Amino acid sequence: MIIVKNVSKSYGKIIALKNVNFKFDNSHVIAIMGENGAGKTTLLKVCTGILPFDSGEIVVDGYNIINDSIKARENIGYLPEMPYMYERLTGREFLFYIASLRKLNDAEERINEISKMIGIQDFLDYEIGSYSKGMKQKISVISAIMHNPKNLLLDEPVYGLDPLTSRAIQDFIKHKKGSTIIATHSTQLVEQIADFVYIIMRGKVILFDEVSKLLSKYGTIEEAYFQIKDGINV
Amino acid sequence: MFETTRVILTENFRSLINKMREAPILYFIFSCTIVFSIFIFAYATFFFINIDINLDINLEDIFFTIFFIFFLKTVADIYNNFIKSSSLSYSLSTQVNQRRTIAEIFIAVFLTELVIWLSFSCIFILAIFTFGVNVGYPSEYLYFTLGVTTAVCLGCTISINFFSPKRYRLIPTLTLLGFYFNFREPIFVIFTLPLAIIHVTWSIKNSMESHLFSKRKERTKERYQIKIRNTIKAFFHRETTVLWRDKLLFSFIFTSVSTGLFSGYLFLYGDEILIPEPIRSQIGGVLPSMFLFLGIYVVIMYTGVFPSLNLFLNEEKTMWILRHMPVKNDNIVFGKVSSLALCFLTAIPFIPYITIFTGFDKIVFLVWFFIFSYIAGIIISVPLGVKYVGKKSDIMLLYSVAMILFVVLSFVAIIADLIEQFFSYPIALYIIILLIELFLLYVSLKISSQILTLKYKSTS
Repeated sequence: MIIVKNVSKSYGKIIALKNVNFKFDNSHVIAIMGENGAGKTTLLKVCTGILPFDSGEIVVDGYNIINDSIKARENIGYLPEMPYMYERLTGREFLFYIASLRKLNDAEERINEISKMIGIQDFLDYEIGSYSKGMKQKISVISAIMHNPKNLLLDEPVYGLDPLTSRAIQDFIKHKKGSTIIATHSTQLVEQIADFVYIIMRGKVILFDEVSKLLSKYGTIEEAYFQIKDGINV
Repeated sequence: MFETTRVILTENFRSLINKMREAPILYFIFSCTIVFSIFIFAYATFFFINIDINLDINLEDIFFTIFFIFFLKTVADIYNNFIKSSSLSYSLSTQVNQRRTIAEIFIAVFLTELVIWLSFSCIFILAIFTFGVNVGYPSEYLYFTLGVTTAVCLGCTISINFFSPKRYRLIPTLTLLGFYFNFREPIFVIFTLPLAIIHVTWSIKNSMESHLFSKRKERTKERYQIKIRNTIKAFFHRETTVLWRDKLLFSFIFTSVSTGLFSGYLFLYGDEILIPEPIRSQIGGVLPSMFLFLGIYVVIMYTGVFPSLNLFLNEEKTMWILRHMPVKNDNIVFGKVSSLALCFLTAIPFIPYITIFTGFDKIVFLVWFFIFSYIAGIIISVPLGVKYVGKKSDIMLLYSVAMILFVVLSFVAIIADLIEQFFSYPIALYIIILLIELFLLYVSLKISSQILTLKYKSTS
């Protein structure tokens, strides 16, 4: 569970998050939608401890992300929007490196299992520098989920992936325990796997509701998104 | 027209301004060290002109020094802006001819180098003018500027053709460089400028395959080395693997051996080569120690300071990995710094090679000063590298660290000289100094891990 209390974050004069409050419960898939620059990626980064924030508090499974950052990070898996990795390592070396930092002594079996699931097992011994974007995304996905984190934060998780892998990841998210937070522009993905959706605009939450309720009211998430956004703009 | 050139120049300029805004005091110090060293160089020129010594270091030596500085800088700039650039794919995918886009990158690099040359040379001219030296040498200035132009053209060809699958295209450039080395005549460099322009034009015309050339490397043989390690060993292994695969260790060993031989040779024969007969007896004794010092300094800079700084500067885009892992900052810093042990091993060949020339009389002092300098380099570089973590390698930062280390080592060399004079068996004292330095290294690493901690403005 991740609790975000009154968090603000700005980049110079640009306000990315303004006194936002979120509660990401266990056993739910929560989608965060919003236009470019709305603050989705910033929210995920402050929740994982990658970015500092200006004010507020973030608690991950009872641990403060600032004061108990090590404990808080143990239960976080994060997939960035642009998965930059060490280009001179092979995919397998990178994953073992991450497993070493996370102290996962039985990681080998898990790495083999997930790499088969998302179809990268034949390329694990090639240097990451020679991978395509989709292959890098797959390696990054494995690094995010191999320790079975209670809290999974995914920034555009299926972007750049082939349909088969995309479906495998969606199935994994559906059956995963704990909370999963997805920042995405894909309304289709939200309809397929999310339980709740937050819509944020210029660093503020403008809507939080159940996906099923929005679907029964508006028909599609895309329609809901545009109508709610237009309503705010008016 | 010239959109790519404008974009590169604007991006580089804004990046510099942003860095200056983020750390104004440090950048003020960086700028001061650069201006200071140009003034020192100017004063040295003034001094040698006034005492009327005909040093064997002449205009040709200075010409070729400037030539090779700009040559190397162009190689690095073309590599960063063209060969390695990931953002280039955007401009290459537009309707603009790809060759034109690459030519515009070359123009951006050329203009940057020219601005650097003009600004530094103007500061130098201003400095010597304030000392009262005649600065009316327009033809010599043009001569040097054309030399810089040739250096930029040839640097560009090296960078483009080295990464081409057809490396024989390097032959014209290497032939020209060979001729320059053989004849050592600046006028030869000026006359070959048209050839350099023809080669750079041809290289740009055939450069797309250099940008696209990447070999998919399979590393099945190394699979047995992959295992779960403790945190510090994991950092050590990652850093050393990259050093090994980038073949940097071989260049470190080459530098250690060649600097050992070169400075050893100058240690023995430097007086005869560089000091004119009339004043050799007066200042001749200083040079051997100076060459020994400079030899150690160069090796430490190359094998100690650069890798120490790059431990963190190279994490430019991968900091997200370290930031979200449940790892203490201490472990990150200590783990990464432990990999420098391998770099230190590559520096050791310097000692036996220089000893061929210096003999074993001063071996204890030599080994002690070498170890001391290496640790001092790490003490200075690591906190600064951490301070700029996630930012691109910065030439001003490298230069400033070099200056600070030079001052520190000069000071220590003077103290060591006094110790040698007053103590018959100073080994115990040397060991105590090393132990104090190791403690300072520990403090420096602890400070670095504090700097690495993210700064939260408020948690209320």
